[in-house]
Amino acid sequence: MDFEQYKGKVIAKSEVVIERSPVENFARVLKLDDEIFFNPEEARLKGFSNIVVPLTYPFVMDFWGKFVELQPAFTPEISLGSILGPLIAKGGLILHGEQEFIYHKVLTVGDHLRGESIVKDIYQKPTRDKTMTFVVTQTAWVDLSGNPCVDVISNVIHVGS
Amino acid sequence: MSQIQNTLKVGDKAPELKLTLTRTDLVKYAGASGDFNPMHHDEILAKQAGQPSVFGHGMFSMGLIGTALTNFLGISSIKRFKVRFTKQTWPGEELVTSIEVKEINPYPDYDEVILSVALLGNGEVKVSGQAVAHVLKKGN
Repeated sequence: MDFEQYKGKVIAKSEVVIERSPVENFARVLKLDDEIFFNPEEARLKGFSNIVVPLTYPFVMDFWGKFVELQPAFTPEISLGSILGPLIAKGGLILHGEQEFIYHKVLTVGDHLRGESIVKDIYQKPTRDKTMTFVVTQTAWVDLSGNPCVDVISNVIHVGS
Repeated sequence: MSQIQNTLKVGDKAPELKLTLTRTDLVKYAGASGDFNPMHHDEILAKQAGQPSVFGHGMFSMGLIGTALTNFLGISSIKRFKVRFTKQTWPGEELVTSIEVKEINPYPDYDEVILSVALLGNGEVKVSGQAVAHVLKKGN
C-alpha cells in the first residue's frame, strides 16, 4: 500500500460549541472536584471566563457540540475508513495506541471552535508474525478568529491477524 | 488566571489518585464521552470476543491521569499531555496515578516542568507518558 499519498490529507472539518452540562458531567466522571469545572462564579474568581473544560475533553467534544447547522460544507480528501477498511477486512484488531494534546489556551464553556483533521503520518512495522499499521491523525482546533486552541493527536493501530 | 508558582524540584511526586474500577465507572464514561464500543459495557459481547470481561476505555485512564495532573499543577499550567496505552484496565482493579517531576528547564518568565505520568494497576503499567507544564517562577 502506498501510504505517502495519504499524508497531509484532510479527513474532517467540523465546528463545535462547548456546552456546560456535558463538560460538568465529564468532569464528575473523571473525579475532578475543583469548583472551576462546575461553578461559573468560582471559575471567574480564579480568572477564567467561564466553567473550565477538562484536559481530555477535546477528544470527545465532537460528540457533544457538533451542531448540524454549524457544519461546513466539506468533502474529505480521504476517509479514515478507506485507509483502515481494507486492513480490517483481512481481520485483526484496531487499538488506540497513543494520545496527545497540545494546549494553546484553557478551553471554557461557550467556546466556539473550528477543527480540521489531517492524516499526520502513516506507517507500518512488521513484528515476528504480524504487521502493525499506525495511522496518526491530528485535529487542530482554532477559535473563530483563527487563534489556535488545542491540537488533538491520535495514533490508531491496526494489528494484523 | 490562577497559576501556581514554582516550588517544585526534580523527583517531586504528585499526590496519587486512586480508584477501584467498577463497571459503573465504565458505563458513566461511555455516556460522558460517547464511546459506546461494546467491549467497554457489554459483558456478553466482550466474552464472545475472547475477553475475560468488559475493560476500561483508554481515554478514561488518560482522563484520571489528567485529573491528578490538574490537581497537582493547575490546568492553566499544562501545555502538552501525551500517553501510550500499554495494558487494558479491568473492573475490580485498583488504579493509581503516578506523576513525577523529571526536569525543570528555566525560561525568562516561567519554568518548563517535564513530568512522567502513568496509571498503574495490578502490578502493571497500564498507561504511561509525559506532560509538559509552564509554571511561574517563584516570586513572579
